[in-house]
Amino acid sequence: MTVIDRGAFRPWGFPLASWAFAIRIWIAAVVAVYLSFWLELEAPSSAILTVAILAEPTRGQALEKAAFRLVATGIGVAASIIITGIFSQTRDLLLIAFAIWLGLCVYVSGLLDGNRAYAAVLSGYTVAFLAVGQIDNPAHVFESSMARGAAIVIGVLSVTIINDLLSAPDRHPRLAAQLDEIHRRIRDCAKQTIFGEIIKPVTYAALIAEIVALRPEIASLTVESSSGPARGAAAQNAATALVAQLHALRALGALPPIAEATTRENILRVLEAADDHGPSAPQAAGLLAAQGDTNGMVATSTWTFRELMRRDQQVRENLAALRGDRHPPWRWRTLRHRSHLTSAESGVRAAIWFGLAEAFLAYAGWSAASGSLSLVGVVIGLGAVTPNPRATTALALVTAPIAGALAGIIEFFVLDGVSDFPLLAIALAPLIVGAALVMTSANRAVSVVARLSLIFAVSIFAPTNPQTYNAQSYLYSSLFVCIAIALLLCAQLLVPPVSGLRRRRRLVASAQSELAQAPLWDRRHRPEEEMFRDAIRIGEIISAGGGVTSNTGTVEEALSHFDQTSAIRLCIDKLKAIANGPSDTDVRAALISRDPLTLLNAARTLRAASVDNPALGDLSATLVVLSLFIEAARARPQNIREAA
Amino acid sequence: MTHTFRELVIGGVLVAPLIWYAVAALVVVLVLRPILNLVGFSRIFSNPSIAELSLYVTVLGLLVLLF
Repeated sequence: MTVIDRGAFRPWGFPLASWAFAIRIWIAAVVAVYLSFWLELEAPSSAILTVAILAEPTRGQALEKAAFRLVATGIGVAASIIITGIFSQTRDLLLIAFAIWLGLCVYVSGLLDGNRAYAAVLSGYTVAFLAVGQIDNPAHVFESSMARGAAIVIGVLSVTIINDLLSAPDRHPRLAAQLDEIHRRIRDCAKQTIFGEIIKPVTYAALIAEIVALRPEIASLTVESSSGPARGAAAQNAATALVAQLHALRALGALPPIAEATTRENILRVLEAADDHGPSAPQAAGLLAAQGDTNGMVATSTWTFRELMRRDQQVRENLAALRGDRHPPWRWRTLRHRSHLTSAESGVRAAIWFGLAEAFLAYAGWSAASGSLSLVGVVIGLGAVTPNPRATTALALVTAPIAGALAGIIEFFVLDGVSDFPLLAIALAPLIVGAALVMTSANRAVSVVARLSLIFAVSIFAPTNPQTYNAQSYLYSSLFVCIAIALLLCAQLLVPPVSGLRRRRRLVASAQSELAQAPLWDRRHRPEEEMFRDAIRIGEIISAGGGVTSNTGTVEEALSHFDQTSAIRLCIDKLKAIANGPSDTDVRAALISRDPLTLLNAARTLRAASVDNPALGDLSATLVVLSLFIEAARARPQNIREAA
Repeated sequence: MTHTFRELVIGGVLVAPLIWYAVAALVVVLVLRPILNLVGFSRIFSNPSIAELSLYVTVLGLLVLLF
């Protein structure tokens, strides 16, 4: 989350940037509570809860999340009113309708990422908060919705204004640095490839996973400032160009290595010179052509190297646009791969978990069960946006007693009956500052536990004006938080979430079916945009398998499909550019057959005709690259069965 | 002369007129953003986020004053 500067002043082991973030969140929380008390809002705890949820280290991320939180709350309020209005007389149907709505929201969140996915699940659990919370008093749903909406607006305003006034950092400088670093590593891989070294598939996969993981953060650039849309477009283009450069690098790796040491050295010099003086692809092409071309491989190497340098230049141009707040000269969209089947399955399971929890709590007949059920909805929602919902529930179960203890210490030991606002603000400081500091930890599990602790502790403590200091109510709240999460974990053990293996199989199957359907002559998107979508699928396969190294076979399979499908798309693009050219029918037939020999024959015919038309030479080289990718895929064992 | 504000009633709940103004000011600022980017607004100020917040407050104040 934060840039850690070794050797810098680090009070209690945390960098100053983390301290600044934590203090900003504390001030925003205090302002939100103060305003809620001043405006005599019914639900001041929702305001401070909003601040806890919007605790993001950069302005853009917090603003984007805030906007989605407002929109999703609006949708959730509307759904609560409609569902309660229709089924208020039939309690069982009402609970079934809640479960279906939550399942639907989890399905939609599976199709989205980042704050969009969060907004989808928020629409679901807003219903759990509003309608389930008021299940015994349906007429009060509208009023409680308005109270919650007002408190959320106060929370959003507090975070936004405090972030602005206290100069919360922007995301774009660090994002540019991250993209630059990935670019540097790709260039290092290119240098190794030129020297004939074989880059491991896991290295490519790790680079792809890092690029696509930045997609949600790139989306948050748009709201950061007036220059945000320009920066967002430039960052999207840079990320897409990086994926395209990786594809060109894979093509270079598939080609026979350059034999002559002098030529290799010279090409490397050209590549290094591009760091300072821009690309010198024509020079490299000249060097390669000087070797003499007997079987077309040198022409293909030349084209591939030129392609690599062209992508390198595109990355460079877009990074410059990102740093200079300029709109890039063209616009690529970072498409997202959507797995409807897996999302639908997750949605159905979420509805079943909620249904099971409902049935248990309704049967138990406890008076405060509705609060517990609301929390089940919240944890289902929070888990749905993570790769492993059951692990999130387990973390929440660990967190709940910690949060309960923290809330109890503040309420009964620190404050213990006082009613002065300044004392409340001071008492909240250790909890909020401490949790926000730990949230900046590089360890993801620790960071999640800190975030959940803050959210649960604040909701159990629930500041009101005046504070009631009711020990019974505190014990009930703490107990029901633990019961709700334990209940959900039991439901998830009974009906497990979609397993990583199943998701991986589906993802590889979808890549296979896309390759089987290729070539598609009429496509809506540019080849680079579709490359990015395929890269997202590879990223999902890695995240479903728990890491790059744990499912190497599946990753290799996915990379091979990525190579072939992208090369076919590039061929189609080039074929369209030279419409009605010679051998048009032969090339189409070769692409449909996907036979390496037929592709090489078509490439040879094109190369013979390319003296007058360089575009034919490009198409010829792309066909050779495709044939090499297909040969490599046929030589490789079918790992999908091994993975299964 | 007293400035009269139109009342905003949603489902029988009276909402402060400031909400309308705040939303309208947000829309105005969002519409202005491409122009601000064109003139290099974020490069003019040392702290662009405070400058944009100030612009929002100015637009909000003008809307309250004029409408």
